[in-house]
Amino acid sequence: MISVQNLKKSFGELEVLKDISVEVNPQEVVVVIGPSGSGKSTFLRCLNLMESITDGQVLIEGKDLTDKQTNINEIRTEVGMVFQQFNLFPHKTVLDNITLAMTVVRKWNKREAEEKALKLLEKVGLKEKAQVYPDSLSGGQKQRVAIARALGMEPKIMLFDEPTSALDPEMVGEVLEVMKQLAKEGMTMVVVTHEMGFAREVGDRVIFMDEGYIVEENEPEEIFGNPQNERTKAFLSKVL
Amino acid sequence: MMNIWENIRWDIIVDYLPFFLKGALVTIGMSLAGVLFGLALGLLIGIGKMSPIAIARLPFIWYVNFFRGTPLFVQILLIHFGLMPIFMTPVNPIASGVVALSLNSAAYIAEIFRAGIKSIDKGQAEAAHSLGMNKLQVMWYVVLPQAFKRMVPPLGNEFIVLLKDSSLAAVIAAPELLYWGRAAQGEYYRVWEPYLTVALIYLILTLTLTYLLNYLERRLDTE
Repeated sequence: MISVQNLKKSFGELEVLKDISVEVNPQEVVVVIGPSGSGKSTFLRCLNLMESITDGQVLIEGKDLTDKQTNINEIRTEVGMVFQQFNLFPHKTVLDNITLAMTVVRKWNKREAEEKALKLLEKVGLKEKAQVYPDSLSGGQKQRVAIARALGMEPKIMLFDEPTSALDPEMVGEVLEVMKQLAKEGMTMVVVTHEMGFAREVGDRVIFMDEGYIVEENEPEEIFGNPQNERTKAFLSKVL
Repeated sequence: MMNIWENIRWDIIVDYLPFFLKGALVTIGMSLAGVLFGLALGLLIGIGKMSPIAIARLPFIWYVNFFRGTPLFVQILLIHFGLMPIFMTPVNPIASGVVALSLNSAAYIAEIFRAGIKSIDKGQAEAAHSLGMNKLQVMWYVVLPQAFKRMVPPLGNEFIVLLKDSSLAAVIAAPELLYWGRAAQGEYYRVWEPYLTVALIYLILTLTLTYLLNYLERRLDTE
């Protein structure tokens, strides 16, 4: 579903991703962990071209993101993204946050979009907040709305960029719960996170990144129980 | 000190009041036209100044440099006696005033637009792009509505400055408010009556504008 081959990414002189190759299969939950500055967020942002690709290839359902002929906006409707800072639109109500792209990009009519949006809000437990503005929500609620907004486009893949890192500790659980539910329903997910519990419990596969490389890649039990690489061991001993 | 109230010649004010009111209308009209053209032109120049291509930014940068860096008075004279005769004879001074005010305010408004758009967090555009919106949709639905809210106070300031600066058009004989003040002074050789009346009318206009802008700001705030 996602195929990354020899991906390289530089910001000016600084090479952030050095040589990344990885495959993500349908319905798989891949969790990316690693120290800050390891390039894991940049890697994720290359998957929907939030960052331009310096070298290598990224295929989303067979479509090459580096090909000039590829319509990136069309691919982005299939690849939802959730950000660390939520990035809800503060000038729109919760409901309008969700329906905006549905009506503008998908061209669904407003009533249809609102019905779908309300169902999604129900799913993330925030139906009663449909008419309020994001400012009045807690961090956990904002992130759940952001997830609902991404799901509104009915994407086939969801990317999560440290979705709980900006949250107060007591709100982390409610967001992870929604993500777990999503994984259970068979959504293909790539999750960059520091939540090792989530990685272990929900991840089908864990990727450990360091200094722009994938250092180790395995099932969660193996990565956490029996890490092979010294750097993985060193990192895990610090965070576990 | 003599008693100012006993020495005021009210008859001058009464005599000229219809002209002052007519002039105030011209002032309002010129300012309004200047603001509207300035807004449209300023948006384009602001967008041009944000072009990712350095050479494409250059003309817009120099437009702003010129119109912000030289006195409006000089610009009015250049436009009225230099530029406008190319397009019309005889030159209508009101038209010259509107052109000068529009071109001048566009430079300031361009900067206000640019600052407003730049002030919106990058994450907003990213989130919109991640949902598949194209650049125009991101601008129109996400960035501009938020930027506009932040642009209201500085735009309001610019409108007030513009309204007052329109008085400079009196020197090219555009029949606006100050023009009639000068006419009254010339006829009666009196200073206080015409100019204080004119000042008072300007004050009423700017205070009304301030009130309207505050109202608009509050309306946008409670949203």
